[in-house]
Amino acid sequence: MKILDILNNIDRRIIYLILLTVVVLPLIFPSVEKVRVMPPVRKLYEAIDNIPPEKGLIIDFDYEPQTAPELDPMSFAILRHAFHRRIKLLVLSLYVQPLGLAQNALTQVVEEFNSAAQTSEDSIIYGRDYVFLGWVPPPIIPILGMAESITNVYRVDYYGNQTDTLPLMAQIENYNDIDLLVSISGADPPKWWVAYAQSRFGLRVGAGITAVSASEFYPYLQTGQFSGMLVGMKGAAEYEEMVERKLEVKARRKASEALLSLTYAHLVIIIFIVIGNIGYFIRRRDRRKQ
Amino acid sequence: MIPIIICATMGLAPPTNVRAYDKPDDGGGTVVIEWQLSPEDAAVERYEIYRSADGADFERVGFIGKGRNNIEDNTADGIPYRYKVAAVIDSVRSYSEPSANVFSRPQWIDRPKLNVFAALIIFGAIILYFTYAARRGKAMFIRKIAGVQAIDDAVGRATEMGKPILYCPGIGYIEDIATIASLNILGEVAKKCAQYDTKLINPNRDPIVYTVAREIIKESYANVGRPDSFDPDCAYYVTDSQFAYAAAIDGVMLRERPATNFLVGWFRAESLILAETGASTGAIQIAGTDQVSQLPFFVTACDYTLIGEELYAASAYISKEPLLLGSIKGEDWGKFFIGLVLIIASVIALLTALPVLGLFN
Amino acid sequence: MKKTFPLILVFVFGILGIIPFFVPHPFIQNSDEFLRNEFLRILAAFALVLGLGSLLRVHIDKIKRKRENWQYSWILIITFVISSVIGLFGGVRGTGILPTTIGTFQFDIWTIYWNVAVPLGSTMFALLAFFMASAAYRAFRVRSTEATLLLAAAFIVMIGVLPLGDRVSPHLPSFAQWIMDVPNVAGQRGILFGVALGVLATALKIILGIERSWLGGGGK
Repeated sequence: MKILDILNNIDRRIIYLILLTVVVLPLIFPSVEKVRVMPPVRKLYEAIDNIPPEKGLIIDFDYEPQTAPELDPMSFAILRHAFHRRIKLLVLSLYVQPLGLAQNALTQVVEEFNSAAQTSEDSIIYGRDYVFLGWVPPPIIPILGMAESITNVYRVDYYGNQTDTLPLMAQIENYNDIDLLVSISGADPPKWWVAYAQSRFGLRVGAGITAVSASEFYPYLQTGQFSGMLVGMKGAAEYEEMVERKLEVKARRKASEALLSLTYAHLVIIIFIVIGNIGYFIRRRDRRKQ
Repeated sequence: MIPIIICATMGLAPPTNVRAYDKPDDGGGTVVIEWQLSPEDAAVERYEIYRSADGADFERVGFIGKGRNNIEDNTADGIPYRYKVAAVIDSVRSYSEPSANVFSRPQWIDRPKLNVFAALIIFGAIILYFTYAARRGKAMFIRKIAGVQAIDDAVGRATEMGKPILYCPGIGYIEDIATIASLNILGEVAKKCAQYDTKLINPNRDPIVYTVAREIIKESYANVGRPDSFDPDCAYYVTDSQFAYAAAIDGVMLRERPATNFLVGWFRAESLILAETGASTGAIQIAGTDQVSQLPFFVTACDYTLIGEELYAASAYISKEPLLLGSIKGEDWGKFFIGLVLIIASVIALLTALPVLGLFN
Repeated sequence: MKKTFPLILVFVFGILGIIPFFVPHPFIQNSDEFLRNEFLRILAAFALVLGLGSLLRVHIDKIKRKRENWQYSWILIITFVISSVIGLFGGVRGTGILPTTIGTFQFDIWTIYWNVAVPLGSTMFALLAFFMASAAYRAFRVRSTEATLLLAAAFIVMIGVLPLGDRVSPHLPSFAQWIMDVPNVAGQRGILFGVALGVLATALKIILGIERSWLGGGGK
């Protein structure tokens, strides 16, 4: 009976402590977990991989520091893919808070490529290969305005350069020159791109979202409004897997490293649910006997 | 003036049949230009659109990729314009004949939305019919909602224990219907608190929601004849920050130890933080939201959860006002009709997919 | 009159809210824009003053009466005053009239946001993982057939989304994906239909004055 009480009434602080341990330990001693790539991730990878040379890709960074650990690895993996394939890249945010995160991701990934580059051709050069457009409020205005002219909406980029003086912007006028937009966000922006840019101007949209909000985005994937979707840490790890396997781009795989934490955390939760149910079953059986 | 290049010598055929018309069903300021693609469309780089107000000087107003045969142009209402479209390869432009004069103007009705208007009228009529049927005394059976039935017990329990009731209307703004529905329920809960003389705590995340909530509570106390018991500080504003608000509510739960927590309204990621902290204090928890992604958290951690539309119906159940109950019946019929339309449309879609039938192709 | 006047206001502004959806004319659209943007903003500004007033009043009252845990109220009032002074006079990024830089350290709103608000927000968000574990342990009981199905689905998705799932069975991740794609989407759509109709009905009830709970009920 005593064991039964213990099973049924484990102190929540013990649960928290065990969870904390299994989450933290794999992060201190990281190892990369292999993952199987699921169709939503494969679709997004292929959508980006098949962007024709004359067209560009927009990445919309729309997450805040709270969700950065989950969404940053997606941004890094997609940036690596885009730079490796030399896809014309525009980066922007619909809100002000994500700008610092976007700049951080760009700086790191560009540095990865440039440190290995031998010539100017191999290097990733600002203005030639990518442009960081920055932020223009309020959110819906740039989504609509870019259909007409991107340089009219973003007259200066994040660093204060006149956008119409940048070589890349001479090749990208508006959505006609963009093949795909990927919105990475913990909230509603991917839906806005579908509602305003896709439904009105036919822009293809992909999404990277947090696992907790995933269920409300699946309808968009199912209807084909999203050309692929990355969900949470697992989605990011799958994309990292694709980038490493297909493109042989070697870089730190933060999401794949975190998967072990995720695995243990899920297992701990499952074990606790099972323990709780064992206690519940025994108690119910005893009650029936009485 | 645009440079005129004699395209015949270059062999690039221009777009033809350029037609410009005022964009229908809009607020004015837009003209739609359509054309027939150049026969050499595959080789064309882009189409450029030129506009003239006087029929002589044409200026470039936009461009679009090959394979596309229409574009919208922003114009000043009431001024007649003519349009030309040029197919472009390198610096070679081949111009179409100009369109007829066209001018944009605003419209008063957005015709494609008339179906929505019709649905609104039909649905409104159904609701009104049942509302007035209820007024005439027609008895209506309404399914019981456990969460709503528990409200009386929850307030009673708090009274017996001499502990307060916490009412959290979520992090939505006053324009969110979930927040409005929550405030409707708050009115009924406040009445019960006034009747039993139970302390009510109502922290708010939005200043407008706070002012409305405060007035609702005050009115509820007045309505049950207890205006003197109303504590003006029972409703207060906390902060606009989502997680700071969640932390503040957690603080109230742990310090004040309310006997009952109402978590009813518009919630995001803080839902489980609130519900689980509340559960740890042993409070009875009644939650409700229309945010689908937060429902699993509430269902898991709370005693009762109002799911989706139950949230909107709750104030009618509590107040037992026949008019409100009638409107719920109307909602059900509306849902029945939508379900019927969906089934019919799905059957048609399935039949269309079957080549043998080809009935609706 | 005390109740009739608000009901008339709600009816008029409710109808004014519906009309712009069907009427694209600039006269209507601009009026709507004014009501939503300018008018609501002015209301919000006044409400914010009232809100902050209420917050301070509640805590000053707590300190005055030495109610339980009154010490915490001092923390609120002190941090409120400090951040207000920095915000009002120091500017968002040290651009205000007050010198907010000491050596290389800036104590402007930007610094407060990144060094106080963001870490605190992240901490609260991270608590979710722990609460999910304890909530699942406490509440996930196989009480009925439905609960059993729910638990089975939860296990399949939780394991299916992990690399482990693929090792258990190559079909498990696909099955987990199917659960998310099909039953999950179907359930969501069902709830959303109800929500959409409920929203419409609630709006109509309030505009037409059938729902009066927000007036404190009654309606006489």
